[in-house]
Amino acid sequence: MSSFSFLDSGLGLTIVVFLPLISAIFIFLIPKKQEMLIKLITLGSAIITFLVSLVVALQFDFNDAAELQLGTKVSWISSINSNYEIGIDGISLPLLLLSTFISVLAIIYSFEHLPEPKNAKGMMSLILILETGMNGTFVALDLILFFVFFELVLLPMYFMIGIWGDKTVRSVSGLKNDIETRLYASIKFFVFTLFGSAFMLLGFLGLYFRGNKTFSIPELIELGTNGAFTGTFATLVFAVLFLGFAVKVPMWPLHTWLPDAHTAAPTVGSVLLAAILLKLGSYGFVRIALPILPEQAVAWAPAIAILSAIGIIYGSLACLAQTDLKRLIAFSSVGHMGFVMLGISSLTSIGINAAMIGMVAHGIITGLLFFVSGSMAHTYHTRDMGRLGGNMKLLPKTGAILAFTAMASLGLPGLAGFWGEFMALLGAYNPLPGLNVTIFRSSMVAGAIGTVLTAGYLLWMLQRVNLGEPKEEWIDQELHDADNYELVAWIPLVILTVLIGVFPKLIFGATNDAVIALVAKAFGG
Amino acid sequence: MTIVSAISLDLLLPRKLKYIVALVSILGSLIAFVPIIFQYANYSSPEILFEGSYVIDKFSLILKGLFILVTYLTFLLSVNFVESDEYYQGEYYFLLLSSLLGALVVTSSRDLLTMFIGIELASTPMFLLSGWKKGDQKSNEGSIKFFLLGVLSASLILYGFSLLYGVTGKLVFSDIANTLIQSDLNQSPVTLLSAILILAGIGFKISIVPFHSWAPDTYEGAPLPVTAYLSVSSKATGFVALIILISKVFYASGQGLGIILVFISGITMFVGNLSALQQTNPVRLLAYSSIAQAGFILAPMAVAGITGNYEDGVYASVTYLIIYAFMNVGAFLVINLLQRNIQSDDMYDWGGLAREMPLAGIFAVIFFFSLAGIPPLGGWFAKFVVFRSLLSTGEIFGVSLGIVGAINAVIALVYYSRVSKIIWMDSPSENVKSNKDTLIPSPLRVVGFVSLILTIVSGIFPGIFSNLGEASSIFFNS
Repeated sequence: MSSFSFLDSGLGLTIVVFLPLISAIFIFLIPKKQEMLIKLITLGSAIITFLVSLVVALQFDFNDAAELQLGTKVSWISSINSNYEIGIDGISLPLLLLSTFISVLAIIYSFEHLPEPKNAKGMMSLILILETGMNGTFVALDLILFFVFFELVLLPMYFMIGIWGDKTVRSVSGLKNDIETRLYASIKFFVFTLFGSAFMLLGFLGLYFRGNKTFSIPELIELGTNGAFTGTFATLVFAVLFLGFAVKVPMWPLHTWLPDAHTAAPTVGSVLLAAILLKLGSYGFVRIALPILPEQAVAWAPAIAILSAIGIIYGSLACLAQTDLKRLIAFSSVGHMGFVMLGISSLTSIGINAAMIGMVAHGIITGLLFFVSGSMAHTYHTRDMGRLGGNMKLLPKTGAILAFTAMASLGLPGLAGFWGEFMALLGAYNPLPGLNVTIFRSSMVAGAIGTVLTAGYLLWMLQRVNLGEPKEEWIDQELHDADNYELVAWIPLVILTVLIGVFPKLIFGATNDAVIALVAKAFGG
Repeated sequence: MTIVSAISLDLLLPRKLKYIVALVSILGSLIAFVPIIFQYANYSSPEILFEGSYVIDKFSLILKGLFILVTYLTFLLSVNFVESDEYYQGEYYFLLLSSLLGALVVTSSRDLLTMFIGIELASTPMFLLSGWKKGDQKSNEGSIKFFLLGVLSASLILYGFSLLYGVTGKLVFSDIANTLIQSDLNQSPVTLLSAILILAGIGFKISIVPFHSWAPDTYEGAPLPVTAYLSVSSKATGFVALIILISKVFYASGQGLGIILVFISGITMFVGNLSALQQTNPVRLLAYSSIAQAGFILAPMAVAGITGNYEDGVYASVTYLIIYAFMNVGAFLVINLLQRNIQSDDMYDWGGLAREMPLAGIFAVIFFFSLAGIPPLGGWFAKFVVFRSLLSTGEIFGVSLGIVGAINAVIALVYYSRVSKIIWMDSPSENVKSNKDTLIPSPLRVVGFVSLILTIVSGIFPGIFSNLGEASSIFFNS
């Protein structure tokens, strides 16, 4: 790809990160009335961002996927030796592509499907700022840069949930007055995440002072794998990093913000939250916590495995108890991210590869599930599964996609969801030598039970929502099936689900070398 | 040459007031900015005047620049405010300028007398200004409280200074410090007593716990621009004095003072934040928030007192002070704008106001979340340098204070997000009278955009503060 060689040395990645932000600032300056112009600019900039990320992927040397490539390092905050250091390897590339791709789809969907109060200008600029934060997190190789991008996603998501979210009034234990779901969920999301990341920042500073005053992730990995961080210090730092990332994943028992946030968020918010934002946490584990503090990773692995197993079981059981369609999918995220974390905790190349494909698959499948459920909630004006039914007859297109996605989500072989779950269990069966095999095999069994439960609640959901005869209240109503905007946003995800399911090499081709190198370097395995 | 310009700068400002026009003050404060920039550009080594009593170095120049800029913004905030209520214009600007002069003196003062005069010159005009709304009971109450405590604090400072002078017989800080070290009085009870008295005196100015009780009442009663000035410039003056005293006089007084400061700093954060959580009056909310912020600004100096790493402490405190100044002015601007439309003491009356006033809404988001320390807005870097200096040695007090700070950052988010939540997410209250005054007058627009740009730029390119590190090292080694 010599014709794009000017995109080497970081320019391509810089465009991918900052083009959305610049467009967002540009959009601020356009009068609100020019709605179509705003939408087109947003879509255009997202598409260009996606295309540039594709070019970057083409330039990426897959034979050397373990190395950080196409990056740059420019002085940023000289007084603290923090640099604008970016780059991608096989681990970050698939997630970066996922992020730029889902953003385009989210914008297409928002063309016609903005909840009250419409305000396209606000929503579009928030999506773009969010995209900068997400893309930036995946390419940042400096802890402070990482932190800034990691936090940059908070404000847009807070406002997305708070302004466009669910206006139903509910009572919350501990609060005197009833409160609108969106207001409660948005601040809960914000406070939980900030709580984790405030401590994470302290951990970063600890690494900085013990590690030759550098924030550079590659340099810290070099130091960490040579045993620079040990003892109580390392335990404390891992603990705070764990807190920061685990809240975001979210791992049980720090997950409680997730169902609220997902239920309250507007469709686009849920999609982006599930598809990308959750990955920031698990990506943080793989990129930062594991390689920089390998000794601690080994020490904490059993605990992470147990929490993941609990998360899987808990998530599935909670799903069985839900009557709210979106809340069910939100809890299913807790379960699926449990598989991702179980894979990571095994500290083997199989497990971490499973986590990587699991992240991508969960991004695609759950993103799609939230698209579909959000659209259905909009059509029916309810998410109560007790009132839904016969969706297949009322909305055949939507129903078909819902059925397909549910199958993918339960891990049907041949579709994307299968690989993450299956290989995570494999990884847990045979964890890194030296780890407590009993704990991991028990977690594996728990995970296996989880897959059965997952199949159970998803099929039951399908039965309640999709099958059967439509309830009387819907029969004489005019219900709109998926329109073109929706189909354009959804079909690519369906295709990807099948593609990755049949050719998992699409992901493993990028991740495998990088993961093997990481495991070899950090754990000698 | 540079010396002359600095002095003339200090002396010229009040004289301009003979013309008693707002415009002149505003232009004057802008013009005063010019020599500062020239001096900074031509800076070679510290200028030492009056046998070491008055020093102009990079540190003092940067702070002078800050004070002048903040005063300039305060003037702009005041224009509509003063005009609309037919206050005494000339005196108003004169008093503010006098206070500015005091602040400028403090930044360069290196002896007891100069510093005392500077501090009092900076704070005395504020007693009058805080009671400017003559017919308003709250304003009178706040002003009286402020005055009584202010006099008390002045006498405490004076008492502490006189102890120092009595023990050493010297006025200039470097002489005092040398005498203390030579005669081995560094750790003596007298020195500690004087340090505590001075701390208590200055504690009123910077409103740290337990000397904070006047702040909410005075802030609430004073005209809004005065409140903004109080919470930014007056507080900064106190901090500058404290920073100079700690790092020039008490730097060898042992860890006792540092430990006291660590506790005060932590408690100040908690008291400020937990009280702010319960406020519905926006001005009181900002008052308590500024108390909590004072805890953050104090923290690096406190830990420096224990670890002895003053250079880092000064850098962190001053960086925080500068960023805090602009985002806090911005926050007061937001309140001003919203109150122009819906005059109310209860911020819950502002429901959904951002839809009518989108620009004010965006200002609110930027400034309040910057105060909360959310990247990429300036506040994050302020918090970051503080955390960095707290953890720099891994010393237990520093780390504990860092954890306290992290917890407080989360608490603070809850109330800082509240204003944005109300104006963006809530629905309009029904029984509220709106003035339909959504137009933003141009002076306020300037304040908004200047603060906005400074807040955002300092968050995205914090590299601009690297000069400050150099400045603080010059400050410390001169």
